Amino acid sequence: MTKQTYLHDKHVNLGAKMVDFAGWHMPVQYTSIIDEHKTVRENAGLFDVSHMGELFVTGKDSTEFLNGLVPQNIKKLDYEKAVYCQLTNKNGGLTDDLIIYKIGINNYLIICNASRVDEDLNWLENNTRGFDVNIDNVSHKYSLLAVQGPKACLILQKMGLDINQSSFTIKPAAIAGIKVLVSRTGYTGEDGFEILTENEHAEYLWDKILDDGKEFGIKPIGLGARDTLRLEAALHLYGNDLDKNTTPIEAGLSWSIPKDKTDDYVGKDVILNQIQNGTEKKLIGLKMADKSVARHEYEVYYNGEKVGVITSGAPSPMLNANIALAYVKNIKEICTGATVQVMIREKFHDALVVKRPFIEKRNSVKF
Amino acid sequence: MTITEKMLCTKSHEYLSENADGTYTVGLTDYAVEQLGDIVYLELPETNQEFTKGETFATVESVKAASEIYLPVSGKIVEVNEDVVNAPEKLNEDCYENGWLVKIVPTGDASEQDDLMTYTDYKEELD
Repeated sequence: MTKQTYLHDKHVNLGAKMVDFAGWHMPVQYTSIIDEHKTVRENAGLFDVSHMGELFVTGKDSTEFLNGLVPQNIKKLDYEKAVYCQLTNKNGGLTDDLIIYKIGINNYLIICNASRVDEDLNWLENNTRGFDVNIDNVSHKYSLLAVQGPKACLILQKMGLDINQSSFTIKPAAIAGIKVLVSRTGYTGEDGFEILTENEHAEYLWDKILDDGKEFGIKPIGLGARDTLRLEAALHLYGNDLDKNTTPIEAGLSWSIPKDKTDDYVGKDVILNQIQNGTEKKLIGLKMADKSVARHEYEVYYNGEKVGVITSGAPSPMLNANIALAYVKNIKEICTGATVQVMIREKFHDALVVKRPFIEKRNSVKF
Repeated sequence: MTITEKMLCTKSHEYLSENADGTYTVGLTDYAVEQLGDIVYLELPETNQEFTKGETFATVESVKAASEIYLPVSGKIVEVNEDVVNAPEKLNEDCYENGWLVKIVPTGDASEQDDLMTYTDYKEELD
């Protein structure tokens, strides 16, 4: 049975094209993916991401417990701060990638991928032995709205939010009189906010944000543009670019892993070994030389030899070119500026290895 | 007669329309184009290539995915619409007048058209 968010009828009434995604009936686009994508880059977009999982982790050992399951240092996470994490397995591969928010002394909120909620819960629960910790899946109680884009802060300021909030922080706040949790995070490469609200307020907030944001050019944005936006920003998608056999080091996520964490965590030996001695595969960014599009699972060749596989690929509306992420053999010849070939329908198409992210890090409106 | 009045459609959303010179124009229906969303890439065959009924003769890429396009009847490609290859986004505006894909000369039996639908029937099938 496909699940629906509390905003499902809003999407249908807005004329969205609906698709099944991770067990949810979700809007893939309202008008056009390219138009929606540009709206987020130029103005602001509103996303219903209520399909994502929310877990509360509480109990006096919650810090210790989480600290042993991710390469990041949860002991150093301050109150109201957030950190991008990976749930690692004993081989250093990933059960999921997620954001952990510290919302109380021994109180954490985890926001994880919709497709991974059950696996994450299982994994967490299977590792609670000896810890005084409670894990509560509250996904069904909350709706999650994302307001993303250079004008996101102006819209939410108009709605009463104190926008003097740093990136990767979370705070209780009121938006249009509704009590919510607001974090300055997102999945678009833009400045923006994610708003966790009780389900009963979701429809009111959705309408109000679209209304109040009208003068700033806000539009509802579907999962199609969410995917092209995250790809331009070279943000990974679990199931495409990350899986249980891929380590954060291979995935180019070394920046997110503190080198000075003395505590043990699952998969630490593998990850440290890879930091020291390198990996067999690595993630690269590609820009197609022609108009063809490299898609998930297409093969990548270098000098006639198969060296890897595309994990995500799509047109980049901002670059007017087609871009992709691929895992390739970790050899020094395949570096920025090198040309590889992607096999598309039994023909080779040249692709240039380029830096990630594909677009410059973007900033909020200055005022 | 407008093109939608005389053309025949497949279940896989291609149309076939007879021209005065005996060739047939093949393209994607407005429903197909609408469902695909923003079209970004088209891979069309070369002239003189031959395909059998139902065979993949072209590929269309939308932002989301690549989709194969099947020939409604067996035929030889006699003309390829280069304009739409160069500007695939035009297909979203007009898939009939200027957004056709190829022209073919049928190489199979006339009975190959038996399972094709009129546009009216095709539209009904979609509902």
